[in-house]
This record gives sequence, structure tokens and C-alpha cells, in this order.
Amino acid sequence: MESSAKKLSSLRITSLDDDDDETEVPHQPPPAGPSAAAADYEDADDEDEEVEVTLGVLSKPKHPGLLLRHLFPSKAGGIPAWLDPVNLPSGKSSFCGFCGEPLQFVLQIYAPDEDNVAAFHRTLFVFMCPSMACLLRDQHEQWKHKHGNPCRSVKVFRCQLPRTNAFYSPQPLKHDGSDKPLCPGAPVCHWCGTWKGDKICSSCKKARYCSEKHQALHWRTGHKNDCLQIISSSAASNSVLPAVGKVPASTSWPEFEIEIDYEGTFDSDSDDENNSKSLVMQRHGKPDAMMQSWMDQFEADADNKCWASFQERISRAPHQVLRYCREPNAKPLWALSSGCPSNADIPSCSYCRGPLCYEFQVMPQLLYFFGVRNQPDSLDWATIAVYTCQGSCDQSVSYKEEFAWVQLYPITTTRQ
Amino acid sequence: MAERGGERGGERGGFGRGFGRGGRGDRGGRRGGRRGPRQEEEKWVPVTKLGRLVKEGRINKIEEIYLHSLPVKEHQIVETIVPGLKDEVMKITPVQKQTRAGQRTRFKAFVVVGDGDGHVGLGVKCAKEVATAIRGAIILAKLSVVPVRRGYWGNKIGPPHTVPCKVTGKCGSVTVRMVPAPRGSGIVAARVPKKVLQFAGIEDVFTSSRGSTKTLGNFVKATFDCLMKTYGFLTPEFWTQTNFSMTPFQQFTDLLGKPTKGLVLEAPTETVEA
Repeated sequence: MESSAKKLSSLRITSLDDDDDETEVPHQPPPAGPSAAAADYEDADDEDEEVEVTLGVLSKPKHPGLLLRHLFPSKAGGIPAWLDPVNLPSGKSSFCGFCGEPLQFVLQIYAPDEDNVAAFHRTLFVFMCPSMACLLRDQHEQWKHKHGNPCRSVKVFRCQLPRTNAFYSPQPLKHDGSDKPLCPGAPVCHWCGTWKGDKICSSCKKARYCSEKHQALHWRTGHKNDCLQIISSSAASNSVLPAVGKVPASTSWPEFEIEIDYEGTFDSDSDDENNSKSLVMQRHGKPDAMMQSWMDQFEADADNKCWASFQERISRAPHQVLRYCREPNAKPLWALSSGCPSNADIPSCSYCRGPLCYEFQVMPQLLYFFGVRNQPDSLDWATIAVYTCQGSCDQSVSYKEEFAWVQLYPITTTRQ
Repeated sequence: MAERGGERGGERGGFGRGFGRGGRGDRGGRRGGRRGPRQEEEKWVPVTKLGRLVKEGRINKIEEIYLHSLPVKEHQIVETIVPGLKDEVMKITPVQKQTRAGQRTRFKAFVVVGDGDGHVGLGVKCAKEVATAIRGAIILAKLSVVPVRRGYWGNKIGPPHTVPCKVTGKCGSVTVRMVPAPRGSGIVAARVPKKVLQFAGIEDVFTSSRGSTKTLGNFVKATFDCLMKTYGFLTPEFWTQTNFSMTPFQQFTDLLGKPTKGLVLEAPTETVEA
């Protein structure tokens, strides 16, 4: 009996984790605790239960005025509500490292750090190039981050302000429509409404742009006609400038507000526990190695297992677009087991040399809500995990770049 | 803990805590007032590109997915496209693991799904509770749905009712052989493969098995393997040249204005030829 069990145990080629141990072999000493079930994701699941994950869900704002910057919103799509309205990111940081197009705004979250006085207000902004070709090239860059400043197509900026600052009043908000910022912000590009508009149209001197590409686009789609009118009626400057919060040409994604939700527990049907005993056949046979091999084929490889637990977790709240957890032992919820970074792959903060820790991740449901069309070049990711400076450092520029890790679905090969 | 959270909130006043670390204060209250998962289940938010296409309604038949061998990662895709899927639990076995504190029992559920019209799936899941195992197995079964080809025994009158030719499937030591049968024979098979064949939509077939059919796992997989092979068998209907068509990802682009050279746009059909 025992020798046949030993023979059967030697037959097992693939290590299907806990199924290997699920035998009725009483003479062998029990395996040493959790080390035997190392990749048993059910135990890992229990670990994850201890950290509280905050979810972000999208909702249409009651009226667009609610998403202006002095109300410290968390939003997705549309144009960013810059926290520091004057020292906007400039230079190469606002362009995609591969195609040179200005990046498009994805989302921003207001995530103050209560232990840090300098980060009384703290917002994280996520930008992305809407081209899938750039995202594929970006994958190479994120794997070899160690070499200086990599050029990326996904960029995350962090901005923080103390309570008393030059832009907002230190008094708490009243939320009755009377809140106002202390000073107006720097002018932004008239086409995208996102980036700083420091280039001016040479003819009318009123329209501002962030880059030549946007100037060309705006010229072609209407500014050619308006330009001359503006020069002639120089007093009516207000008609040219877009209203606060609105963009004349919307190539941006639809605007939503991100609301905070908490991940509830899946109510397991505990009353079935009593019925289970009656349903079960009392069969304590020896391990079925052939059943084992059959299980292998049907159940999982590592990728499928990871995907299964990913699906299970998001099924508690299918509408989530963001998962936030800044605990020290928090881990992102990966969709696949391939394409995960190890600790060595995460660089250190480029400003203070301190370590980065995981803060939040963007979920692919966002693509559905954004209505990403099915172009050959349209975006498709599995998840984007953002790692930020643990100490939330406060030196040099106002908008500091953080590290984003994009996990893509493996490309399906199509046979033609 | 709750007071501290409240106090902090009081300090910030109308600023709001945003996505802060101190979410503990609200957690207790929120858990109670959480909406039940039933509501959420109706509204599926797709996570993959194929899911988004299916949700939009661009893909109507599952055959289009089979034609291009696209991996199906979300079970809701199959649920949406194949509406008549029924499931049945074949078996639930307890399996045990020895621990210091006794034995830890989990339950393994085997589920077969099918619409009775050419699609079957098989799923296995092990979990601590029976209900969880069954639920998980149903999801896995839906993800593994395959098409089954049916043909005729003799006269090509009426719809196809039996396997198109003699096929055999093997798993472990069990081999299952299926032979076309005339109309009205019914499914001549053991209890276990009969269930699978009923779900597949095969009306008449003669079967013959060999090996240790007592092992239900291998027996079911052998019949499943056999059914998968029905579409792998080359018959004279397939002798004509295949006209390749575009995958759904390329087919539904918004910039499909000019037809590309060498590619013929054809609605892919996988219906059984008479």
C-alpha cells in the first residue's frame, strides 16, 4: 500500500500545489506547515483579506463645476484639474517618449498623506499615450528602468501642497458653490486643455498651445477662420478662451468622477455547509494519480490560476476602475502571473533615492467606460500598477514623476 | 480607531479624506450597508478586448471565436453568445489533506454544461465549500465550451443527428469509440458518457469503451476528447480552398473603408454541412 503510494507520488510531474498533498497517507509525517502549500493561493487570499482595499468607481458628476481644482476632485477623463496650477510639468515629461505626441489624461486621485504635513493636499495624475504601438514599446522600457531616465508612454505625476499655500485657502471647503481658488492658474493649451500653453499663435497672439502638433490640429479645425476675427476684435478676448473646465476640441476621454467604495466581503453561503456532508460520498480511497493528471489539464497552469483569482476578486465589485491600498504589505492584484515585477524591477525614487511602494492600480474596466473603440491601435491593458515614493518626498519640481508598471495581456497570435 | 478617524476628518473639515490611509473609520458602517452581489451580477463590465466586442454586440455566434482560436477569458462572453446553456453537476468528491490539527477537507465538483445543440463544456473545481466548488466549476465549464460536429448515418434527410464518422478518444487507459447510428437508435452508452452526449446534442450513437472506465474522471475526459475530434476529421466537404477572413479585432475597426488585397471578408460559417 505504501510502496504503491510512493510510486504514485513519483508519477506526478507537474506540481499542482495543494493537490499533491491531498492524500490519505497516514504514515508520512504531515508537511511542515504552510511551506508545503507555498503557492496555495487560498492561503494567500486570507493574507490579502487583512489589508483593506479602497476601490474607485466611476460616476457622472452632478454638474461639471464640481470637478474644478479648488474642490480637490478625483476624476477620470476630460482634462486634469491641476493641483498646483502654475508650475505645470513642462518639457519632455509631457510628451510620449516614442511618438512625441502630448500625453492624454487618464485619471487623477486625491490621496492626501495624513502623517505628512507637507502633503496635506496630495494628488496623483496618470497620463498615457493613446496609441497601442507606443504601449508595446513602453513594455521594453519598463523592464530596463535602471538606465537613467527611461522614455515611457505611461507617466504618473505626484503633486503635494501643505495646508497653507499660495493657491488655496487653508479653511475647509464649504461645498455650497462659493469656494474659489486664490489665484488663477497658468494658461493651458487651447486644444487639449491639459498641458501648459506657452507657445502662442503668432498671428492673433491669443491662442495658446502646448506643442506644434496641437497648434496644427487647431488651425485646421477652425482656428484658421477664427484667427482673423480675433485680431480684428481684440477687445473680445473672452470669446476665444475656453471656459474654465471646458475644451474646444475633445479628443479626450469622457469625463467622470471617481467615487470611493469599499470592497465588501463576498457573502459565502455558509448554510450550505450542513448540506455538504449529506451530498458527499464517503470515499477515502488512495490517491488517484490518473485523476491527478486529468486535473492538471483541466484546472490550471500558473497563468490561469492567477487569472481565476483575479476574476474572483473583481467579481465582488465588477464596476471598479481603481484599487487603492497604501499599506506597507499591500500587493497589487495581478491579472496574469507572467509580466509581474519582482522587487528588483522596481526602481528607487529618482528625486530622493528612497524606496518606492505600491499605492494603487488602474483596472481594465476603465477602457470599457471610456468607450475605447476597437481600432487596431486601440489601448488594451490588463492592469497598471503605480509605485510612489514611500516618504512622499518634497524636493525639486512641483510635479514629480512616479513609476508605473503596465501589465498587458499576451498577444494572441492569429493564423491567417 | 473610529474616533481617531473621525477626529482627523474633523480637522480636514470639508477637504475630504480622499483616498487616504485612514479608511478604517468608515469600514464598519460600509460593510453593513453594502449592496448584495445579486444586483451587480447582472451588469457585467468586460475586462478584455474580446469581452468589450461581445458586450457591444459585434459578435453574435461563438463560431466566430472558434474560427480564429481566440482565447476566451471571461465566462460571461460564453453566457452572452450561447444563451441556452444548461449545467449539471456530475459528481462531488471530498479530498483531504493531512495537517497537524487533523484533516482539511475540500470538495471537488465536476460540472458539464451544454446547450443540447452542438456545444459542450466540462469544468472541475476544488473548494472548501460545496457551493463555491460548484459555482467555480460552472464558470470553468463555460470557459471550456467546444463545438461538436454532427452528421448523418445514411440519408441526408432532416437535421444531423449522429457523429459524422467513427471517432475515438483516449485518456489514461480509457478509450471511447463512437460509431454513427441510424435515426432512432438513441444514445447507446454508459450512464456517464450518455449525459455528456445528451448535452452535446447528439441524438443517436453507438459507443464502445475499453480500459478502467470506473475512473469517472478519465471516462468523461475520453468522451470529451472524442467529441473534440469530430471537427478535426478531414472529410470531402473540407477539400475546397479556405477563404481566410479577418479576426474580429480587425474586422470591426472603424476605419474599414477600403478592402485590403488578398483578404476576403466573409461571414464565417461553421454549420455542419449536409
